Amino acid sequence: MSRQQVRGNPRMRKGLGSRTSDPATMMEDPPSGDWLTLRSDQFLNWVDDAVYNIAEKTGIRDVVNRVTRPIFNWGLRYSPWPLHLGIMCCALEMGAAGGPDHDSERMGVVYRSSPRQCDILIVNGPVCEKLRPKLKTLYEQMADPKWVIAMGECAIGGGPYWDSYSIVAGADTFMPVDVYIPGCPVRPEALMHGFLTLQKKIREQEPGYFLRR
Amino acid sequence: METGQLVQQLVKHEGASDGSVLRSNVGRISITREASQSFFSTLKNDFGFDHCSLISAVDNQTAFELVYHFSIVDATGQMLEVHIDLPRDTPTVDSITHLWGGADWHEREAYDLMGIYFIGHPDLKRVLLPDGFAGHPLRKDYVYEIHEEEW
Repeated sequence: MSRQQVRGNPRMRKGLGSRTSDPATMMEDPPSGDWLTLRSDQFLNWVDDAVYNIAEKTGIRDVVNRVTRPIFNWGLRYSPWPLHLGIMCCALEMGAAGGPDHDSERMGVVYRSSPRQCDILIVNGPVCEKLRPKLKTLYEQMADPKWVIAMGECAIGGGPYWDSYSIVAGADTFMPVDVYIPGCPVRPEALMHGFLTLQKKIREQEPGYFLRR
Repeated sequence: METGQLVQQLVKHEGASDGSVLRSNVGRISITREASQSFFSTLKNDFGFDHCSLISAVDNQTAFELVYHFSIVDATGQMLEVHIDLPRDTPTVDSITHLWGGADWHEREAYDLMGIYFIGHPDLKRVLLPDGFAGHPLRKDYVYEIHEEEW
């Protein structure tokens, strides 16, 4: 079998121990159409594409969607876990909303302390210039699907600090915001209404697809 | 020691002036910045003021003014207010970090927001505002131009 006819990674073909400085026998670039030269993320993408295309072309995805969409969407709607992050005085109202009077946990709102486990980022206070990159990092650490609630005047547009030298004028200047809750500070009832509004938004806009793209 | 007695003894120090009693247990005194270092070490070592509770900077347009609050942590609760006037073009003063360790962040805050330079401070950098911030925003002549537009 000649050398050109062998498919696969040339490093595999030669064996792992055959390191040499001779340019004639050094590892060359694989020819086009070679299939064994994938990094791990490329391999995952390739598997994703294959599964998605097969499910789409055969119609399995539509069928599965029809069954699972209401279930997935219901699960998303009733377990919006926010990040337990308090910036300023609206955080006290957030705590009051989670307390026994306005029991927000009956809607599945469970506060979690790690952004990896969360769906909602509640911005409950003024965002200063020093906090902004950290908040952005927290948002990017959350897994999709994720939503942002701007709670209170400060998070909506800067509030009383709108012309300050160190306060960002609104959380939507650097991250996408889904629900705005006005108030200074926001009452717990208003925060509950904000959660309900977000539920409505999830029902309409986040169908909970099987194999979502 | 009575507050009046204390202030009378402190006014005898070189560079001290304007000694007065503000209210019971609270005295007030002014000191020039050249004599401040020896005055503060006297305050700590001879009079036993072991707590520096506040360093505040005031912009009086023509000059800066530093206000130090010291206290003795015991049953008498003796307090003392020390004022230092600084010229506006050279707002520098000797650091008191080696005497009272708690003055560290107070001095950094005064540097951050008002631009007072403390000579001898171990790590004089911004504490509240992000690094790379331009200017000192609590000065009266500070102009912030980004939010100038009307809404």
